[in-house]
Amino acid sequence: MDEKRAVKNKKIISRQARRSLVAYSFIAPNFIGFAIFTLIPIVFAFALAFMQWDGSNEITFVGLKNFIRLADDTFFFAAFKNTIIYVIGTVPLTMIASLALAIVLNQKIKARGFFRTVAFFPYVASLVAITAVWSMIFHPSKGPVNYILLNVFGVAQENLPKWFSGSLVLFTLILFSVWKYMGYYMVIYLAGLQGISAELYEACGLDGANTWQKFKYITWPQLRSTTFFVVVMLTINCFKVYDIAVMLAGGGDGKLSTSATVLVYYIYQNAFNYWDLGYSSAIAMVLFLMVLIITLIQFRYEKKLDA
Amino acid sequence: MKRKLLSILLTTSMLAAVLAGCGSKPAENTPAADTTSEADAGEESEPAADTDESANAPEDTDASAPGEAVTLKWAIWDKDITPYWNAIKEGYEASHEGVTIEMVDLGSTDYMTVLATELSGSGSDFDVVTIKDVPGYATLVSKNTLEPLGSYIADAGIDLSQYGGVDKQVTVDGELYELPFRNDFWVVFYNKDIFDAAGVPYPTNDMTFEEYDDLARQVTDTTFGSQIYGTHYHTWRSAVQLFGVLDGKHSILDGEYDFFKPYYELVLGEEDDQVCRNYADLSAEGLHYSAAFSGGDVAMLNMGSWFISTMIASLQSGEYDSSLCGNWGIVKYPHAEGVEPGSTLGTITGLSVTSVSDKKDAAFDFVKWVSGAEGAKVMAETGNFPALMNDEVAGIISSLEGFPADAESKEALNVSNLYLEVPYAENVSAINDILDTYHKSIMNREVSVDEGIASMNEEVGKLLAQ
Repeated sequence: MDEKRAVKNKKIISRQARRSLVAYSFIAPNFIGFAIFTLIPIVFAFALAFMQWDGSNEITFVGLKNFIRLADDTFFFAAFKNTIIYVIGTVPLTMIASLALAIVLNQKIKARGFFRTVAFFPYVASLVAITAVWSMIFHPSKGPVNYILLNVFGVAQENLPKWFSGSLVLFTLILFSVWKYMGYYMVIYLAGLQGISAELYEACGLDGANTWQKFKYITWPQLRSTTFFVVVMLTINCFKVYDIAVMLAGGGDGKLSTSATVLVYYIYQNAFNYWDLGYSSAIAMVLFLMVLIITLIQFRYEKKLDA
Repeated sequence: MKRKLLSILLTTSMLAAVLAGCGSKPAENTPAADTTSEADAGEESEPAADTDESANAPEDTDASAPGEAVTLKWAIWDKDITPYWNAIKEGYEASHEGVTIEMVDLGSTDYMTVLATELSGSGSDFDVVTIKDVPGYATLVSKNTLEPLGSYIADAGIDLSQYGGVDKQVTVDGELYELPFRNDFWVVFYNKDIFDAAGVPYPTNDMTFEEYDDLARQVTDTTFGSQIYGTHYHTWRSAVQLFGVLDGKHSILDGEYDFFKPYYELVLGEEDDQVCRNYADLSAEGLHYSAAFSGGDVAMLNMGSWFISTMIASLQSGEYDSSLCGNWGIVKYPHAEGVEPGSTLGTITGLSVTSVSDKKDAAFDFVKWVSGAEGAKVMAETGNFPALMNDEVAGIISSLEGFPADAESKEALNVSNLYLEVPYAENVSAINDILDTYHKSIMNREVSVDEGIASMNEEVGKLLAQ
């Protein structure tokens, strides 16, 4: 009797299915967490973009109203423009800076480990601490940067730049991000550089190539997949900028004026200050689509190069 | 077989864990529900006394019935550094046998945001919540998370005129959702030593803006190394813009802000002449107004009355150097030509009953006590300004050890007209942020005063038209 049941069971759950079940059970803890805390909220946010909801009262369907509202929202456009400028400024500069650092620190120089640590340090240092230091260095009237401009370069007192406001604030943000994140991407480039076979350089050298030619014909093409990864990650991370802007340009109350506001800040403001969750989801959707499209283009370009 | 068993076990345990996770909200509530049932032990024999009924029956004064144990959960901030929370709790518990006040500290930084999140959904079990600012109050009211207090106020026979009209500025469609218990108003703090050294007479309780500006300019010293600033404006927009609402004719809800212009020009002019520190510097270094005033190089500072208790306590503890700022006084806010002196800005802190509370009567009794005469006394004794101001309360504060001894400072506590920094409107959060944003732009000189005000008019106009 028991044997029969066992045979029957075996038929119902095949060996393959059992294996899959085991595999799924191992994936499950991570996936369930992901589903509850990421996947479901994302799907919900998609739906919310077409709704009006304050988190307490009834959800009402409003169709495209939230998106139509975007078209006439000064603060949304300011945030949109600033985010784009920030991405366009930060991505290439960080890439170039981290690649240059990686190439220099890949040479056999003295105290190489020390300098690598120095370059990596801003990445691990606390954002709060280093923004405080930057605020002092770039202080409009007492900072050493403006002091040098005033006394060494003879810039007039009233023309001294205000680094944290007006048209300069985005420049300061970009400068700060490049400095903070180049160390991290340098490490990725270093790994890429160490994967390039020394024989290639040797062969190139025998052919009489100079340093620039070695870089152009060996280093750069060999690093293509690393560069691809770096650019994709940088782009996504730059679109998500929030903390740096609030810390550097938020002043005392952490509020951003139109010259420094960014999309994620505006999403937060709408969601948790005005409890306009539908509208804030609509802005988030715009951000999502932008990141998605740019990433798809990057993947396409990469594939084209591969072919 | 073993593997199968293992996988089934794993899957079930995981599913169970997830389900348990999903069900944690009601589970979390169990202890509270327990206290409720303990608290309402007397009602256990009457299962019909459910939430709705108790909500609709304000005359059922179960809270004051002696011997009945009630626990009220109360949302506050900064428990350890704000002396009055505990004083209120102890005062109320001492006079109300069987009532326990359970304070939950949500921190001060994002208090209203955290509170709004706590009260969203169904998981909250707060009975009483403290309302820190009006934009946050507007949010909670629109989210239907606060109980309208009109019928309770009428039943308890509370005379709202004792709040000097501030209740009207937070009334929503004829209904009140909070009772104020703390009411701070703005005054001018000044450093007597600086005026003495410059041989300039002290500010008075009756100053026009021109006289105030003159005074600030007279005591200013721009000599490098021994610089004295005639006045100081903190980075909040209230410190500059809201001079404009003191005439009683304008409000920040107007949608037309041309009346800000003379005051922006006043302050920017003072910045140009180094009469005050400039905004861009303050913003970059995050200088706190207390550090500015206690540093001894600022002659006058317009600030809320909350700074009085800070001054007293910090001078006593030695945190502020009394040789730099120990000789201080306060006077009434300056006023525009033809406006009654003593017109000033106010900020209220209130208490509300949540709409989900199942002990609304007991909760309202607590709110009534704190915002009434007994609560006012507790507030005054800890050096704070209660919403219910009268001569006795003013007397308690002005006789606190460390309060300036001169008659002018005592007289400065008499407010004639109080205008809330932010009165209630449905979209006041968004208006507030728009005004903040362009205040920043004007003060950072990213735009001219006219451009900034035009942007305020345009953006708030758009919002009001929606």
